[in-house]
Amino acid sequence: MKVALAQISPHLGDLEKNFELHIKYIKKAKKKNVDLLIFPELSLTGYTLKDLVEEVALPLETNTFINQLKTASCDLSLVFGFVEEKERGLYYNSAAFLAEGKILHVHRKVFLPTFGMFEEGKFYAQGKNFHTFSTPFGNAGMMICRDFLSYGACYLLFAGDSEIIIVISAAPGRGITGKESYETSRMWESMGETISRFSNAFLIYCNRVGFEDGKHFAGGSFIYSPLGQLVAKASYLDKDFLIQEINLNDIREARKKWPYKRDDKPEVILEALKRIIKNYED
Amino acid sequence: MKINEPFVEKILTTFINEELSKFQYKKGILGLSGGLDSSVCASLAAKALKPGNVFALIMPYGKIFSDDVKEAQKLAQALGIKFKIIDITPMVDIYFSNHPTEDRILKGNKMARERMSILYDFSAREKGLILGTSNKTELLLGYGTIHGDMACAINPLGDLYKTQLKQLAKHLGIPEKIREKTPSAGLWAGQTDEKEIGLDYNKIDKILFHLVDKRMPKKEIIASGFKKTDVDKIISLIKNSEFKRKLPIIPKISVRTIGHDFLLPYDWGK
Repeated sequence: MKVALAQISPHLGDLEKNFELHIKYIKKAKKKNVDLLIFPELSLTGYTLKDLVEEVALPLETNTFINQLKTASCDLSLVFGFVEEKERGLYYNSAAFLAEGKILHVHRKVFLPTFGMFEEGKFYAQGKNFHTFSTPFGNAGMMICRDFLSYGACYLLFAGDSEIIIVISAAPGRGITGKESYETSRMWESMGETISRFSNAFLIYCNRVGFEDGKHFAGGSFIYSPLGQLVAKASYLDKDFLIQEINLNDIREARKKWPYKRDDKPEVILEALKRIIKNYED
Repeated sequence: MKINEPFVEKILTTFINEELSKFQYKKGILGLSGGLDSSVCASLAAKALKPGNVFALIMPYGKIFSDDVKEAQKLAQALGIKFKIIDITPMVDIYFSNHPTEDRILKGNKMARERMSILYDFSAREKGLILGTSNKTELLLGYGTIHGDMACAINPLGDLYKTQLKQLAKHLGIPEKIREKTPSAGLWAGQTDEKEIGLDYNKIDKILFHLVDKRMPKKEIIASGFKKTDVDKIISLIKNSEFKRKLPIIPKISVRTIGHDFLLPYDWGK
């Protein structure tokens, strides 16, 4: 299958412009016979919304932008990020997977970073699940940015049988060393390598670029194979459109070589977790 | 504290470029003193915006810093940016002839604000955004004149310590004469930053880096070999200059107040 990552810089708080940007990339992807096109976190709205969250929030079922994207998904599958008003007055940082004209799944960000430069917990309601769902390409799971830095969350997608893990991100770069990238870029890459390898799954990470209020989104989107090999990587800092053919048979190959999936013991982990939780409640 | 110079150059030129185009400006304006910081900023702006879109104002007070003026002029010519020299003596002298003082700091601050006033005037005349030239060291220490040299539209250099700017300056090809000059705020002849602060930049930056970037407790910094009096001095400078890094504080009366819970992004709609 052919995957494309749109490493874009959305317009902050401007749904219309961002919708047009999505359509532009959908057209480009269609020309290249892409099967799955992925946009970054909050691709329809921009990231640093603060009090604008409620102004750009969309109801999932009745919004015209989402309906038009649904129609576009008859030709290719789409993943994008938006602010969702799921219940009245409750706003989620969400990711939707659209295919064949339908919404296959919506993931709502669970880990809302609220420390230092991040203040998502101030503006968003918290998602409550990591769900594996079926797609035309196999089982997939989605995470949004900080979700992916929880190996517990990654494990849930592994235990749920995800073969393709899609992470959409708006990760600002920080930390300058002697290297030619931000320190934080290395953090995402090491997680990508590790989780793909130990989940026997494709790991697709789509980050954004551009500045918002002085925060610099670091780009560097990537795809890792189920054996933990880097398959493709977008540029750091610059806009990019990464198109990559991936072979789903690699999942079988990886599972044959390293039977982590076959040998997994979710029951043991669940029981142990219950004991841990019980202890700290005492 | 080592930086990768080409990477930092790329970040800062992208920033200058993006911020100006977001607000539909083509031109950047800055005050060029012949010192390290404004030279680095001018060079970055020339790369980001093309030299023809950078306008430098060289604003000496009389002849006391004529070498700096020459170097600023030479740099502007080498970078191919536009520049103008405006002597601020008449405006400053007329003020102090009516309100005399011997206090050098009062005089220096007045000069810094005179330059700010000219920069903002030219910002409107030339339709250019003002690029700030305050580095992280002086911002943290509050070593700048509020509404004077600290005033700008965007500040590309604000997250780089003085010693890191020195590294960047070399990479950008800023002449050695400027790079090796003793840093000075230029408030009066013979003034140097290090004499006035009482510590050299290498030491200041290392202490700041541990305090601010590493969030290391004071005790540990002292244990790692810095003098307690030096660390205390730096902490007190940071503490006493917080007002220079914030908008004026507003008492909260209503349910939604500027500076408290009226939280809009700077780049709204950009």
